[in-house]
Amino acid sequence: MTYTYHFILFLFGGACFAGFFGALLGIGGGVFIVPIMVLMFHLPMKVAVAASLVSVIATSNAGGSKYVDQRITNLKLAMFLEVFTTIGALSGTVLALYLHEGTMSLIFAALLGYMAYASYATRNFDDQRIAAGTFVNCKQDRLSHALALHGSYHDLAAGRNVDYVVTGSWIGGAIAYLAGIASGLLGVGGGVLKVSAMNRYMNVPMKVAVGTSKLMIGVTAAVGSILFFMAGLIHFVVVGPVAIGTTVGATIGTKVMNHLHSRSLKWLFTAMMLYLAYGMLAKGLQVQFHIHIPTIG
Amino acid sequence: MANNQMNEKERARTATAEENVYAGVYHVLLVGMYISTALFALGIIRAMMHPEFYPLTASWVRDHYHWSLVLHGLVTFDPMTLMMVATLLLILTPVVRVIVSIHAFAVDHDYKFVVVTSIVLLVMILTCLLGLMGLH
Repeated sequence: MTYTYHFILFLFGGACFAGFFGALLGIGGGVFIVPIMVLMFHLPMKVAVAASLVSVIATSNAGGSKYVDQRITNLKLAMFLEVFTTIGALSGTVLALYLHEGTMSLIFAALLGYMAYASYATRNFDDQRIAAGTFVNCKQDRLSHALALHGSYHDLAAGRNVDYVVTGSWIGGAIAYLAGIASGLLGVGGGVLKVSAMNRYMNVPMKVAVGTSKLMIGVTAAVGSILFFMAGLIHFVVVGPVAIGTTVGATIGTKVMNHLHSRSLKWLFTAMMLYLAYGMLAKGLQVQFHIHIPTIG
Repeated sequence: MANNQMNEKERARTATAEENVYAGVYHVLLVGMYISTALFALGIIRAMMHPEFYPLTASWVRDHYHWSLVLHGLVTFDPMTLMMVATLLLILTPVVRVIVSIHAFAVDHDYKFVVVTSIVLLVMILTCLLGLMGLH
């Protein structure tokens, strides 16, 4: 592959796009950057997954540090769940090294399909829970009590400090393990799974869940990256533009997000993810089973 | 009253202790981000100045994992080496973050979390060992 001027610029642009839309959705860019690299730049699936994983660390450092600085991140909760995500990432990466590229494309298509559904269906119950005070009046399970998993953050929108106690640590751990597998296998951060698990089952306010997840995906992606690095699957000439591009895109996206009503963009995102899911499905079927289905664009 | 004072002291100690962890984590993330971004940017600029052919095979990449080659590449501003070192730094940032956290929790006598965070570090070490054993 000749590393031309055009290739660098287009790959950088694609990564910016992925990071930007990822940040608008409150997720990393991995979900977009892998299909972009596979479908538009015709890079092998494993090379795309490895490069995306490294860029996930970059966005985690950039985004995660901001939430840590604002004390929104719950560091203890992050460390606890990282035990599960790192073991998951190790399992996922080992799977990725042995699975056929076509199978990986098909699994990625399934993930995109689920995300399209989730992006359409998600709602935010936080305001009601803050008002009702259920974040603090909740019975902790034994493990989260023993580890003193609780916290407090200043909510700018509600204009006050919100205290919360963490519960459901086992189900949270189980979902974190799955998110780790998704990260290692598909080169994504797995933030969507972790954020919804923390918010839904662990009684963690949405903003804390997002900040904590942003920090966690760095460690999770690092585990996968170590194995990909040693396997020689990280192509540094590809990683450079992708890592910088996603970080730039995500930084702009985060700034724009505060001025946008992402709800109105939900339809656009759903359509975009379905489009990419179809593309990955077509690619997977073609590589794995030599079945050709018509592709759009 | 005495009990209240104890509680206040205890709370203040915990608060400063947590601040240590937060400050440590924040600085590691920032330094890792700046250095790796600078190296990536330099690598991209160098690559754009001298477009080259790079084979996309794993064995070709692994052939470059030699200290002498890396040092030579850094001195000559070889784009691939610059981006390789940037990638390594990026991967190491979360690892260092975990080590800094273990230290901070130990300083604060929060031994439960020294254990929890050490498990994360152990998984990372296990990953390296599996990689070295040739699990690929």
